[in-house]
Amino acid sequence: MNPRVRKRLWVIATYVVLSFFAFIYLVPFIRSFIASFMTWEQASAYPPQWIPNPFTLINYVKLFRLELFPRWILNTAIYAGIIVAGNIVLTSMAGYAFARLSFPGRDALFSALLALLMVPAFITLVPNYIIIYRLGLIDNILGLALLGIANVSSIFLMRQYFLSLPQEVFDAARLDGCGPVKAYFYIALPLAKPALGAVAVYQFLGAWNAFLGPLIFLRSPENFTLPVGLSFAFARTMWTEYTPIIAGSLVAAAPTILLFIVLNKYLIRGIAITAGKG
Amino acid sequence: MKPKPFSQLSSKPKRLLEKKKYREALSALLLISLAAGLNIVFGYFAMFFAFYLSFFKWDYIGPMEFVGLKNYEVIVKDIIRGLSGAFYTFAPFYTGLRNILLYTAIVVPVQTILAIILAVFANQKIKGVQFYKVAYFLPAVTCPVIVALIFIWLFMKNGFINYMIQFIAPGFAPDWINDKNYLLYAIALVAIWGTSGHFMVSFLAALQSIPRDVYEAAMLDGAGPFRRFIYITLPLLRPMIVYVVVMGLIGALQMFDLAWVMAGSSGGPGGAGYTIALDIYNEAFIKLRPGVAAAKSVFLFFLIFITTYVFQKKYRVLPR
Repeated sequence: MNPRVRKRLWVIATYVVLSFFAFIYLVPFIRSFIASFMTWEQASAYPPQWIPNPFTLINYVKLFRLELFPRWILNTAIYAGIIVAGNIVLTSMAGYAFARLSFPGRDALFSALLALLMVPAFITLVPNYIIIYRLGLIDNILGLALLGIANVSSIFLMRQYFLSLPQEVFDAARLDGCGPVKAYFYIALPLAKPALGAVAVYQFLGAWNAFLGPLIFLRSPENFTLPVGLSFAFARTMWTEYTPIIAGSLVAAAPTILLFIVLNKYLIRGIAITAGKG
Repeated sequence: MKPKPFSQLSSKPKRLLEKKKYREALSALLLISLAAGLNIVFGYFAMFFAFYLSFFKWDYIGPMEFVGLKNYEVIVKDIIRGLSGAFYTFAPFYTGLRNILLYTAIVVPVQTILAIILAVFANQKIKGVQFYKVAYFLPAVTCPVIVALIFIWLFMKNGFINYMIQFIAPGFAPDWINDKNYLLYAIALVAIWGTSGHFMVSFLAALQSIPRDVYEAAMLDGAGPFRRFIYITLPLLRPMIVYVVVMGLIGALQMFDLAWVMAGSSGGPGGAGYTIALDIYNEAFIKLRPGVAAAKSVFLFFLIFITTYVFQKKYRVLPR
């Protein structure tokens, strides 16, 4: 076979495979988006229908009739906000110190922290519940957030970033009599915007989607975050129609989906970097 | 004349240097303390406390009572009951263990292989490839609870998935979520769908770090795309495969969210969706036996530790 024809065929085959998988990964989103504007009769019809008829917003209306739904959105946003802010401050400080300052036991401490990435969350679950309980912070978003404001992978990401900066910048600052803490505020932080952005985005995604922590540490419905609230509001026994659940799921997932679509290039690259070195 | 090294300078600058070093260590401690402290308390202290707690009987309020290995006896008896065929409600831990091992045996290999295939195809330099990467990664940024809620609907008897299946296997239309023979497979499919895109990105990074000339040399030797994949790509991907499998094992063995939503906290029909993680949750927060829960979590810890350790030992090196 002529090599040019062969190459052509190879490219076509690649597109076929890529599109087949894209269909599998996207169709649940597309299907639920369409169904959220259908009546339940139509959404549950067999074979599946693709055009809402009649087009209806009733599912979204029913969803916001759930009194607590807006409250859960707010709680999730507060929780994600605290987690993002905490990680930006705490892990950039720690990452900077691990990368740029020397002190006894530095590498041992860093390895010890890194090893926590391999520790399954379930072993620490009950003890952490007891600690938070003793602190009187059960059913409080602050108590829940305390567990996640200094994420180890964020520390790792910040450290790697600070290690990648040229040493001369810090040397120059030191020669000018700038102490280590001052250098953090005036040199390291302003240079760290890309890494801070990455930490913020990953932590936002993690906090917005978190389930196990909020399920255990938040107790009363008005303090729930979206995933916990939805999982209870849509408990299997309460179904009469499923379309409001689909609408609720889409509303809850919208911030992460939009964020990802806007930042997709940056995010896919960033995760690749951390994954390669994890 | 060569400048003298620092150590041979007169004592005054040396002391100054030491003072500077001391100051640096102090500032480092200041900067690190909060982040390290929180992780030591909620990570290491909690881990050791879990081991400690697993030897005690407690109800969260009253005094703790040392019971030796009693909590572990609960687990062993549970497994023995399960092995001798007790109904699933009488052997919850065994049920969870059996399910999670089957689930892991399905999910980890499939998601790893799928992630490699996706990465290899998405690594081609062709137009519009970013769109495909976004499509594959989208499930990974979506909350598992939400994914599970949507898939319950797609998995209904007259749902979309059965509709698609009848083009491939006519007549095969199980009631996935309500049939104890299919529930675990439904959960496994959702997990694979949700995480393979995430690991694809890891493989993409590894693929991009393979130098081009390796492939060019192979092409000159007349190796076709399949042989290049088998003899060059796969061996060079090995460290990343080990990493992805280890991360996959850690995730799969403590699967919780999907089972909670798709099967419910009691494991759904016939306990088919029950997992060790659900059992630990029920033990700790429903039955209020933190000691037994801690013993079960120690079991899970060693299950994860041993499987990942054996796997890494066999295939060596963690990517650095």
